Amino acid sequence: MGSVGMGMVENSKWGRALRWPPSRRNATICCRSRWRGYYAREVISLIEGASMDPLTDSRRRHSRRDILKSSALAIFPLAVRSGNSSLLDQQAMTANGGTDPYPIPWLDKNGSHNQPAGANLEPSHIYHFKGRVARCSTFTGVGTDNQGNRIAFGSPTTDYGVMQGEFWGARAAQQGVFTHI
Amino acid sequence: MFRGPAVPANQIHDFHPPIAPSGLYWVVPVPERGLTISPDGNTFTLEMQNVPVVDQPRWPALDSIATPARMTFKMVWKSTGEPVRYEDPSKHFRFIGTRASCQLEAQVEVPSVGFSWKSDSLNTSKSDFAVIGEEVNGRYYDS
Repeated sequence: MGSVGMGMVENSKWGRALRWPPSRRNATICCRSRWRGYYAREVISLIEGASMDPLTDSRRRHSRRDILKSSALAIFPLAVRSGNSSLLDQQAMTANGGTDPYPIPWLDKNGSHNQPAGANLEPSHIYHFKGRVARCSTFTGVGTDNQGNRIAFGSPTTDYGVMQGEFWGARAAQQGVFTHI
Repeated sequence: MFRGPAVPANQIHDFHPPIAPSGLYWVVPVPERGLTISPDGNTFTLEMQNVPVVDQPRWPALDSIATPARMTFKMVWKSTGEPVRYEDPSKHFRFIGTRASCQLEAQVEVPSVGFSWKSDSLNTSKSDFAVIGEEVNGRYYDS
């Protein structure tokens, strides 16, 4: 596949380059190579000053502006393909989603995934999980701030949990430890 | 944290991690050695330092401002030996364990407002509900 640039025609298949302004010999080489398609006809047209194709005989002679325009347009698709090639050249990777654990799906009644702690309630905050769990709630305690004020902490909704074990993420079993605080 | 009785009107701070984009609710990974479990499985100790959290005093209001904060804490669960089993096939979970006690000591810091707080020692706190055990849910429930 050749590429058409300003003042130069390269054809890597044949390893030849034609420079502008062309010599008669260059034009001959181009024709003998049986290079088919638009670019070939365009190059021949540019070199000879007139098309060899009867269908395009009515085309006017090309000005330098036309040459610059056609050269730029010819480069454009090649530049795009070059960008795609750089993506294709990247290292192969999987696309299996993240390894973060799943939230508990059926808790989303209020647009959130929190759940209270208590008897007969699920302790884990991770779905597709098996492992050790600890859960607690309804803390009471007190502490001191940096101004010396005694401030209580804890309420019926002050809850914590920890989960250690296997969970499902990125379409595979994962191991981890997580806490709900 | 509350100034006065623990009712919403008296809440002055509420520390928790942000809700993850995935929907994981106030869940963060525990670093290696953050959780220790006694050989007999009857004591869980969770310790973490400088956990990035937010302070949302007006939580759960949607427009509650979240100020970056840090939290350091130690939490200890101890089994009472009383067995419990929670299972709901419709929700695909099964928990088998024991009741437990749980105590907590913590300190928090909100650098941007110059606030910090430290709890009294671990043995001065208590929780009214705690359990430890093993759970399966989701895809592991039927296996």
